[in-house]
Amino acid sequence: MSSGGENDHFYSFDEGDSSSIELYESQNTSEFTIHGLVFPKLTSVTSQESEFDINEDEDGVDTIYDGMLDTPITKNSKRILCEGSVPNLNYECLTTKGIFERMLQRVDHLQPVFAIPSADILILLQHYDWNEERLLEVWTEKMDNLLVELGLSITANVKKDNDHNSHFREVEFKNDFTCIICCDNKNTETFALECGHEYCISCYRHYIKDKLHEGNIISCMDCPLALKNDDIDKVMGHPSSSKLMDSSIKSFVQKHNRNYKWCPFADCKSIVHLRDTSSLPEYTRLHYSPFVKCNSFHRFCFNCGFEVHAPADCKITSAWVKKARKESENLNWVLSHTKECPKCSVNIEKNGGCNHMVCSSCKYEFCWICEGPWAPHGKNFFQCTMYKNTEDSKSKNAEDANKTLKKYAFYYRLFNEHEVSAKLDWNLGQTVGTKVHALQERMGISWIDGQFLSESLKVLNEGRTVLKWSFAVAFYSDASHNLTKIFVDNQMLLATAVEFLSELLQIKNPEVIMKRRPEFYNKAGYVENRTIALMECGRELLCKGICKVVE
Amino acid sequence: MASLPKRIIKETEKLVSDPVPGITAEPHDDNLRYFQVTIEGPEQSPYEDGIFELELYLPDDYPMEAPKVRFLTKIYHPNIDRLGRICLDVLKTNWSPALQIRTVLLSIQALLASPNPNDPLANDVAEDWIKNEVGAKAKAREWTKLYAKKKPE
Repeated sequence: MSSGGENDHFYSFDEGDSSSIELYESQNTSEFTIHGLVFPKLTSVTSQESEFDINEDEDGVDTIYDGMLDTPITKNSKRILCEGSVPNLNYECLTTKGIFERMLQRVDHLQPVFAIPSADILILLQHYDWNEERLLEVWTEKMDNLLVELGLSITANVKKDNDHNSHFREVEFKNDFTCIICCDNKNTETFALECGHEYCISCYRHYIKDKLHEGNIISCMDCPLALKNDDIDKVMGHPSSSKLMDSSIKSFVQKHNRNYKWCPFADCKSIVHLRDTSSLPEYTRLHYSPFVKCNSFHRFCFNCGFEVHAPADCKITSAWVKKARKESENLNWVLSHTKECPKCSVNIEKNGGCNHMVCSSCKYEFCWICEGPWAPHGKNFFQCTMYKNTEDSKSKNAEDANKTLKKYAFYYRLFNEHEVSAKLDWNLGQTVGTKVHALQERMGISWIDGQFLSESLKVLNEGRTVLKWSFAVAFYSDASHNLTKIFVDNQMLLATAVEFLSELLQIKNPEVIMKRRPEFYNKAGYVENRTIALMECGRELLCKGICKVVE
Repeated sequence: MASLPKRIIKETEKLVSDPVPGITAEPHDDNLRYFQVTIEGPEQSPYEDGIFELELYLPDDYPMEAPKVRFLTKIYHPNIDRLGRICLDVLKTNWSPALQIRTVLLSIQALLASPNPNDPLANDVAEDWIKNEVGAKAKAREWTKLYAKKKPE
């Protein structure tokens, strides 16, 4: 497999893998056909229904992601790809409140079966972790005994020690009441269930408050008789039972973590429910990852709970993250956030998304990643993303460890650079919203026509994410293999494309933006193509075992 | 120190005026939430004839929170570990503010009478208990002789 010139992408494949050759062909042609043209794919995206659901005023940031990372590329999609396809994931995004409301509906549904009050069914379900089938099973077996067990009915032999005409389950005011919990004697409000165990309201409140976060059934302090949601709200004086239900649903989600996953993003309270997990092994086998998106547009991997990490699979991701955690202490101080200008040595902090740096003091143009001059970057290849395997494979063993560390440091640095860039892109996103507004106001452009900016930003984000994780794949790949070389070429192409697009998005003047609008379409379309190509190429590396975690 | 809640004062008075047979609990002079406790080993158990020392502490949130109890005397028991910590439902999940110091101590005494190796805290002891109950009981008896105070005849 040593044939093929440096710029030749059409490496031959052993197994006559025609589909993947087609893939590379189609990319290369698309590279040429899109010049000067409005790329049709992008406009079709903007006309999808979901685009109209979003609120225009949402911080001015358009956070719609219905992009390529959510659904795996299958044979049905427009592009022809290498072997294997996986079924789409059938999932929904919920909140604890949403799940609870659904449970309430189930209670209404079950009411005729049980023929007991709905509030009681709720308690039964709560006890059985909202598992209807198990509850029904036990119910047919035990019936009345179950009600006694869970404190829903009082047995005949439990003596009602206070048979004064108390109003059970109502807060009452009493003079000179002695509470056996606090032992205080006072004029106070009290509460009791039918068991007659009566306590002062402050002890009851304290008791309930401590139990709300546990999510279990709250019973009388002295017997198993259960407090229903109404009772809890009465005692607390405000609707507190919702908190108990919330805790109960949370523990339900925790216990059903095969189908339900919390969105891992900070402060996001969404739960993603995968209705059918049977396709997950297929995803793993074909080195796809089951990426899902919560209602707040956070995308994550349902399998490992990590952020979107294509083209790496979960195994590579976890190995990489583990390694990063282990090595980062050594490396972090090296990879400080400032760099010296290669020419005049003034300290530079990068505060924009693009890696094309212009030194503010000497005007020297250089690449932030390789610190080399910028000039050769723009045109063809992004040489700095290629790891130069300088030494021959002769003196292996002794320097192997050192080399691995060096190789790792190299890729980790790239990974890190793109992570930082992605964060800066996020800031860029904040300004894109204002730019769209400016376009609307100053140029009289309609909202839908201004969407190419946020579309481009979305494409840029996805491109960067894929690029970032591709370095993890590159690190674990056999560098001598031809496919790895193709992969690295693909990385360079995407890196170049991403830089172009990032640079375009830096433009502030609305007139210039509108004038260069076709360029936005071109570059974004190109980045999109390159992103998919890199993802597929990475997956092929994984499928063929060229990229694997070596213990 | 914040004033002692009425509930604790009442319970302490009751423990002194109406002690539980085989159990003593005295509050510490410097800290009235800290009790020195002794429990006599129940008859017909490997712990009979021994007097076991424990410490009991009433946390700030008592009676909403369970008292903290720990064995000070070394004991061979599947639900009590080397540090004297006790695995007992009423001290954890089944605690209720309606329970008291005396009920907790009675539960501990009952635990000595009927160990539960199926819900162990000291795994090695529990295993021994399940595999070789006679031997384990003999060892518990031996430890009682070695470490617990002797019950006066």
